[in-house]
Amino acid sequence: MDTSKLLENLKSNQYNINLGGLEITISDSIVVMWMIMIVIIALAYVLTRNLKPIPEGKQIAAEYIVETINSFFKQTIGHHWKPFAPYLGTILIFLVFANTVSLFNIIPSGELLYSLTHFEIFKHFHFHVSPPTKDINITAALAVMSIFLVIGSGIIIKGPIAFLKSFFEPLWIMLPFKILDYFSRPLSLCMRLFGNVFAAYVLMELIYMIFPLIIPAIFSIYFDLFDGGLQAFIFVFLTSIYISETVE
Amino acid sequence: MDQGLIAIAAAIAVFTGAGAGIGIGIGTSKAVEAVSRQPEASSKILMVTILGLALAEATAIYGLVIAFLLYGKLL
Repeated sequence: MDTSKLLENLKSNQYNINLGGLEITISDSIVVMWMIMIVIIALAYVLTRNLKPIPEGKQIAAEYIVETINSFFKQTIGHHWKPFAPYLGTILIFLVFANTVSLFNIIPSGELLYSLTHFEIFKHFHFHVSPPTKDINITAALAVMSIFLVIGSGIIIKGPIAFLKSFFEPLWIMLPFKILDYFSRPLSLCMRLFGNVFAAYVLMELIYMIFPLIIPAIFSIYFDLFDGGLQAFIFVFLTSIYISETVE
Repeated sequence: MDQGLIAIAAAIAVFTGAGAGIGIGIGTSKAVEAVSRQPEASSKILMVTILGLALAEATAIYGLVIAFLLYGKLL
């Protein structure tokens, strides 16, 4: 068993797109994110089409999802939950899809396609549907969005002066630690999500290399479904805890 | 020589997982005790447990990230 094959799998493709003189690099994780976006937008469209006052069929499912998310944030954020529930719910749904997307890795490898069809395009085609959150850039972006939401909610709901005062709240000596909090929180949010998803992805790749059949399915229940769902939940839960700490 | 030392350093960094494992074990056992003592508060206990476990797990994740950073130097 060699590690070079594992490293080959971990490498992400980079596509360069030229937009009128502007060079844009698009990685595999962005492409997977686009796929997830298509699925979520299609689901949202299908589930919310012709809503009725008395719910039936798929509307019950949609209302159940929204009600669950709302009641969860009512519990964690407190009575300022209303403006945050749509954003945090969106992040939760996106992360649940993003962390468990490797279950749908049904695209065959380039060599297999080439040996079957003998098309030249497939020869250098390495595309895996891997979780986009195993890319540290995406989790960093999500964490920065979360911390901006926390700071913004403090400024808007408490008012700028009361927010600045909260830095000196129990004692003025706490000031450096309170400032440090706003750097260590996004760092730990980013690293927690990235580390968990990446570690699960590497372990699953190793298991696929050793036992290609049946046994990965058992591990996949833990690493893809349970861990992915739990990490998505933890990310949103910690963000809402930070918001409730700032707002109260 | 340097390469070997870097690889050993990466392996030592992953040892942070041991501490996180002990912490998560203690936290979960206390949570189970709390639920068996007061089953009606189980939803609140679940929330606090998940929060605590997520924070306890952070140290292991930091070790893992340091190991990855060191591993990147090997290539």
